[in-house]
Amino acid sequence: MTAQTIILVEDDPGLRTLIARLLQENGFQVRTAATAPEMWIALENGPPAHLVILDIMLPGTNGLDLCRQIRRTSDIPIIFISAKGGDEDRILGLELGADDFLAKPFQPRELVARARAILRRGPMTDGHHARGRNAFVFDGWTVYFSRRELRSPSGAVVDLTGAEFDLLSTFISQPMRVIGRERLIELSRTRLSDSSDRSIDVLVSRLRRKLAAAGGEPPIITVRGVGYMFSAQVTPA
Amino acid sequence: MRLPSIGLLGRILLILAFVLATEFVANTLIFDRASKFALQDDEAHRMAEHIVVARRVMDRTPVANRPAVARELSTTRLTVSWHRGIDTQSTSFSLSGLRDQMLAIEPALFEAKLRLHLMPLRQGGDIAGSVELSDRSTMIFRAAQQKSFWPLTVGRLVALALPALLLALIGGLMIRATLRPLRGLMNATRMVGRQEPAPLVERGPKEVRGLIRDFNVMQLRIHRLIGTRTQALAAVGHDLRTPLARLKLRLDAARLDPEARAAMIGDVREMGDLLRSLQIYLGGEGQSLPAEKIDLAVMASTIIDSARDEGHDVFYDGPANLETWARPVSIRRAIANLVENAIHYGGSARLSIREADDAILIQVDDDGPGIPPDRIESALQPFVRLDDGRARNTRGMGLGLAIVQDAVRAEGAALSLVNRPEGGLRATIRLPHRQPFGGG
Repeated sequence: MTAQTIILVEDDPGLRTLIARLLQENGFQVRTAATAPEMWIALENGPPAHLVILDIMLPGTNGLDLCRQIRRTSDIPIIFISAKGGDEDRILGLELGADDFLAKPFQPRELVARARAILRRGPMTDGHHARGRNAFVFDGWTVYFSRRELRSPSGAVVDLTGAEFDLLSTFISQPMRVIGRERLIELSRTRLSDSSDRSIDVLVSRLRRKLAAAGGEPPIITVRGVGYMFSAQVTPA
Repeated sequence: MRLPSIGLLGRILLILAFVLATEFVANTLIFDRASKFALQDDEAHRMAEHIVVARRVMDRTPVANRPAVARELSTTRLTVSWHRGIDTQSTSFSLSGLRDQMLAIEPALFEAKLRLHLMPLRQGGDIAGSVELSDRSTMIFRAAQQKSFWPLTVGRLVALALPALLLALIGGLMIRATLRPLRGLMNATRMVGRQEPAPLVERGPKEVRGLIRDFNVMQLRIHRLIGTRTQALAAVGHDLRTPLARLKLRLDAARLDPEARAAMIGDVREMGDLLRSLQIYLGGEGQSLPAEKIDLAVMASTIIDSARDEGHDVFYDGPANLETWARPVSIRRAIANLVENAIHYGGSARLSIREADDAILIQVDDDGPGIPPDRIESALQPFVRLDDGRARNTRGMGLGLAIVQDAVRAEGAALSLVNRPEGGLRATIRLPHRQPFGGG
């Protein structure tokens, strides 16, 4: 497997160097930029990039505007890192089409894990959730990927933890298909500190409980000895 | 189109002048009315004749018999009496109109020096008067109250009461108008520092305008002061995050013994938490987002599930579903902070949700030491920590409950803290049932 390329946009020189080193040590190719113009240069020169890690506070054009500009022409995955921890920035960032959001100071391992998860998810979800179609419906429930939000058939926001949302995304991307427990654990590793058989089962039972809350039968079927299957029709909203 | 102001003193003088003028006009009208008062012709005739005849009879009657004759001359309509000297009755309301009318009927009354006046209301308000006899003694007469006199009496009552009522009304309205700008100022004072400053329109008397101008300047100054402080704190919070991120990365790469590394990572995380709570407090997290329909029960159980995953002793008791309207980010933060507090101070948390008549009650109980009753109020203040010096193990800056308080207020809800009789603290958020604005 050839090394995947990440563009890192961060104006603080120390942090830029440290993050670049971290990513390189974890097997990524990294091209760095301190400003918006430098980012465009880094994007267009050299082998094609697979992911952009973008600081929100940049001199000149800020990260949110930059994200908007990138999205006009490209579907490249974007992870925001921000010194503002607030949920408003997170929601705005995700709404603009970013794939993930990390508040500074983050755990180095967390950044690597999220980058890996997004790069891994890429080929798997391609074709099914093409960008632009960011909401899906099943059994009256709506899933908004841009805001990482689930709404009940009556329209209420239903809270999910990050791990639960990732699990639901995995199910939605492969409806009517049995997904092995091993595969689910692998896909959820980013969110679970200790990914064991037990914790994936706990996660599934919690998700089931929330999807059953509205009174219907939750559309997650246990396939004994193998894993789980999502049994509802999924349609783009 | 602002007129130059005459000032408070000017206004009060004007009000006084107006009141005096009103009283003057009212009095003039009453006297004028009394003097113009006339009886219907036949009645005036009868009265004039009666007086002329009675005078003639009295004139020819010996002095000793006069009182008795006077009684004889009295009828139900006109009472006659005799007085030895000159008429000394007051003539405050002289009836010159009626007098002219009667003199025209009986010119002889002119020589008899007819005097007419209205009696005070407390003595019946009748028409009374006198004529002089030839020996300069006086015959006094008094017309009994009759229907035709009634308009005069009512008129007098109204005329006497009207100025007082009018004055009270006008004075009240004028003072109210003068004080109205002050009321606006009072309301604005209450809001200083809570919202964007909106300069008040300078109106009212000169002194009040000056006060409003000074208030506007002060309001702006306070706002700027708060703004500068908030910005400074936010900048500190923001600018420290990048070095902290660097520190974390350096720690990760450094060669350290695992125990020291874990301790340092813990320290850095604590600093991150401090900054986060500071930023949430200053930023009013999520309060600018609109209220949405949320499943409060799922929100609560998610918070509890997450805390349990971190190894805490927590428990949720409530419905599986409960849909209501609130700002998701801030109400989630409020509940999570209460649960965190319970875990931190009490070692455990029991979160329960139930519906009362008009509100949803969100309760968080712990088994900790509670809060001394006299410190409950200050526990809600920002930057207040309840641990004393020897047991300083609090993380955070004492913003947890202040953040809850702000979030809860933004929802129109109320936060209360009570020590449970069986020990431990109970925090209750009383969230009123709410419908979306405009029903949509």
